[in-house]
Amino acid sequence: MITLTGTPVLTTERLTLRAPQPADAPTFIEFYKTDRAQYVGGPKDDRRGWEFFCTEIGHWVMRGYGMFVVTYTGDDTPLGIVGHWNPKTWPEQEVGWVIFDPKVEGKGIAFEAAKAVIDYTWTTLKWDTIVSYIAYPNERSITLAERLGAVRDDTAEVPGTAYVYRHPRPTA
Amino acid sequence: MSVTFSAPKLETERLILRAPDLSDFDALADFYTSPRAAFVGGPQSRELSWRALAQEAGHWVLRAFGRWTLIEKDTQAPVGIVGLWHPEGFPERELGWDLFNGATGKGYATEAARAARDYAYNTLGWTTLTSLIAVENHNSARVAERLGATYDSDFTHERYGPMQLWRHLGPEALT
Repeated sequence: MITLTGTPVLTTERLTLRAPQPADAPTFIEFYKTDRAQYVGGPKDDRRGWEFFCTEIGHWVMRGYGMFVVTYTGDDTPLGIVGHWNPKTWPEQEVGWVIFDPKVEGKGIAFEAAKAVIDYTWTTLKWDTIVSYIAYPNERSITLAERLGAVRDDTAEVPGTAYVYRHPRPTA
Repeated sequence: MSVTFSAPKLETERLILRAPDLSDFDALADFYTSPRAAFVGGPQSRELSWRALAQEAGHWVLRAFGRWTLIEKDTQAPVGIVGLWHPEGFPERELGWDLFNGATGKGYATEAARAARDYAYNTLGWTTLTSLIAVENHNSARVAERLGATYDSDFTHERYGPMQLWRHLGPEALT
């Protein structure tokens, strides 16, 4: 088995955020086949979903950071992916979020995970600024960005058709 | 902060085969954005080339094998990417080779593919290997011939178009 080394694990009250691993692939690929993936680059067939999961893992190698798989602590079932995303030519470094199963929505999982990632971004990665790109009209995602305190920045460069939400830097 | 994975390193007379990493990007993108990439799903943008390189790394973690970047010993430059490849949708595990621009005509694909084939048979214990080659990709077919592979069957890939599946000599034929 070949695994990533050097990837952090974040924990919150209910959740564990860890690097993606091969056992997560089927859930990721199934999600990307559905219309739920329409705002995050999907839907994708099995082939492209598999390749995209490779890219998710490889992003960690290329950048030293990437998207975490979110699980309940003590249960390794993947609930979604939340984390850092910055493929080449993305205008800025992003924090993004995806919940795989609609049954997991409405429990504040994405909020709790994204908040942990954002805190980690300021305190450990020490980025100067954080954006989230949200494809129009992903209302649910916009609501989450606003709950996190992010504000639309219509002056920022956009990859494709999306809103740019900029997260407020914590005041010291 | 550095994130890595533990791919084995191979060595041939003129090449080091090591895990792909970000330092390969320019050479790989120059290849993927050039007309030479027509047989492997290109030409494509630099952004997609970056994702393709990330995919090479991710393939190692998902499959526990993958393709190596070839480093030319004389120059320390990345000159190609060769190895064991089995993305979703491929009929069988394959031995694949792409040489970056300017690196053709030196026998590097054959040299690296031999090392990758030995690794597949001797270390991983595989008993067969294939290569999918686009029908018009005569240079690649010549590499397959040099390795002793023979035409097996036709295969149509949704992105790469009509291809020929070549089958390599098995481990017993090489001992």
